[in-house]
Amino acid sequence: MITIALPKGALLKDTIELFKQVGLDFSLFLDKSNRQLQITDPTNTAKALLVRAQDVPVYVEYGQAQLGVVGYDVLREKQPNVANVTDLKFGYCRLSVAVPKSSSYRRSQELPPHGRVASKFVNCAKEHFRSIDLPVEIVPLSGSVELGPITGMSEAIVDLVSTGRTLKENGLLEIEVLYESTARLIAHPLSYRLKRDNIDDLVAKLHGLVRE
Amino acid sequence: MTYQPPAGARDLLPLEVAQKAWINDRLQQIFRQHGYSRIVTSTLEWLDTLTAGGAIKPSTVIQLKDNLEGTLGLRPEMTASIARAAVTRMAGNIYPQRLCYRANVFRNPPKNYDGGQLEFYQAGVELLFAGGIIADAEILLLLANCLQDLGIPDWQILLGDAGLTRSLLSVFPPNIRKQVRYCLANLDRITLENWDLEPDLKARALMLFELRGTPETVLKKVTTLDLDPTAEATVINLQSLIDLLNRSSKNPLPITLDLSLLQTFDYYTGIVFEAVSFHDNQCYLLGQGGRYDRLLGLYHPQQESSPGVGFSLNIEDLHSALITTTRLPQQTPASDWLVVADTAEAQVAAFCHAETLRNSNPEIRVELDLGARDPEAIREYARTCRIKNIAWIKLDGTYCVENISY
Repeated sequence: MITIALPKGALLKDTIELFKQVGLDFSLFLDKSNRQLQITDPTNTAKALLVRAQDVPVYVEYGQAQLGVVGYDVLREKQPNVANVTDLKFGYCRLSVAVPKSSSYRRSQELPPHGRVASKFVNCAKEHFRSIDLPVEIVPLSGSVELGPITGMSEAIVDLVSTGRTLKENGLLEIEVLYESTARLIAHPLSYRLKRDNIDDLVAKLHGLVRE
Repeated sequence: MTYQPPAGARDLLPLEVAQKAWINDRLQQIFRQHGYSRIVTSTLEWLDTLTAGGAIKPSTVIQLKDNLEGTLGLRPEMTASIARAAVTRMAGNIYPQRLCYRANVFRNPPKNYDGGQLEFYQAGVELLFAGGIIADAEILLLLANCLQDLGIPDWQILLGDAGLTRSLLSVFPPNIRKQVRYCLANLDRITLENWDLEPDLKARALMLFELRGTPETVLKKVTTLDLDPTAEATVINLQSLIDLLNRSSKNPLPITLDLSLLQTFDYYTGIVFEAVSFHDNQCYLLGQGGRYDRLLGLYHPQQESSPGVGFSLNIEDLHSALITTTRLPQQTPASDWLVVADTAEAQVAAFCHAETLRNSNPEIRVELDLGARDPEAIREYARTCRIKNIAWIKLDGTYCVENISY
């Protein structure tokens, strides 16, 4: 039976809606009273695992899930060895550099050399500042990154922006977009190549839905 | 302070050694039956040797301190070493050469893999100075034979052709070919789809991306493309190979033909393949191999090129795939005899008797009691160690036998 890793958080609702359209109902995961992390759909054709978004590519890379749904941001940050099969188009956001509105910085290049940048996306942030040849100290955080500049710990942040409201309410200004992100369907490479459990049929159906 | 092996390295205790030896002994036996002779090459090589031709990146090799002559590396695979040995040390030998090995290889784990394995054990073969589909078929049938004989559950072979894929990629202008190849090798369909390519090229790239399935359907699809003469010849070859395999094997081989099976960098020029098994929700990469018709030339003193084909099997994965079956030995072999001197003076007689027992049958395992235990403790030891018989030796060399029940 095929196993699919689903991401907790922002992408979950759309992901479950998508699978519902191909006949796989995992809406039990949306039920607040549900504590089960692994469920089988009512037609008994597929299993789903509920995992943190960052862990979706891990389960898929190791083959415990043959398919998974995860944001491009996570893939770009972790560079997992998985097949990138379909751009699902939902869950739009972008990874951006933001600074306090009150600061004078309006481009990444203007940040002070050896300044501090707080981020959950350590690798992407490093890659960005390396590409513009600006030496900075990346301060790894795991949430509420906006507090970095507010408390004075860092000059800037690199973080996901979807509507921009959080930035605005915390007095921050988006000055540069590193890349845009959407939800992606990923697959375990060998299962995909060998078409285990009719993975190709399911992928084709999902692909067809997105293109409509 | 405690002394431990470095992260990624490990000790193998007797039971695991017995199980892996069971696997490897069977493999070597099959290799011998097919006329392969074992070769042993150096664990250490010059880094330049290991990375010649650019297929292996220096960062994946565990390097040893510089000395005056250059950098040394621990071999990350065996083919380069065997190719080097074959064209330099075995030149003028009778061709083809059938060589096999059982050896450990070392790989520098990628940066983000904490505690990733460094040392791996492999068994494999190289069929050198032989091109053509008969040699390819010999290698694939030998691989199938190994997996069948070991009793690996649910195995499959993923087969590609680096030469054919290269021909199919030649329609792409050189500036984008590399990126298309990268997307195929790394199964990145999204980049291909979102790429601003000419519609024809994009359709071609996406079509290549999907070229996998049963050999018959894939080859049928390929023949509908307009192929250059090289590609046409390769397709005919591949068709003959599949046909030869099907007719030469008792059971049809579980082959999936996948024309996007390639590495971003490698030395393969013809068929490439991986052997995979799925078992208990785990996926095992049992082995990999392919044809390399330009590798030998890199090591030849006059750069004379010769063909070669081979594979290596990953002992750890074979072991993991077999561990839940009942095929592997479940215990280390026990001693057949425990020889005990009744008194200190009878020790010489005990040594003599043990030797007589060993000479009676080369398979028999005989161990000596080292004294300082009373008979009940000795019996308890024999029971714990599953020893079947105790021989109690008297000073005059006579003895009585006690069978241990446990």
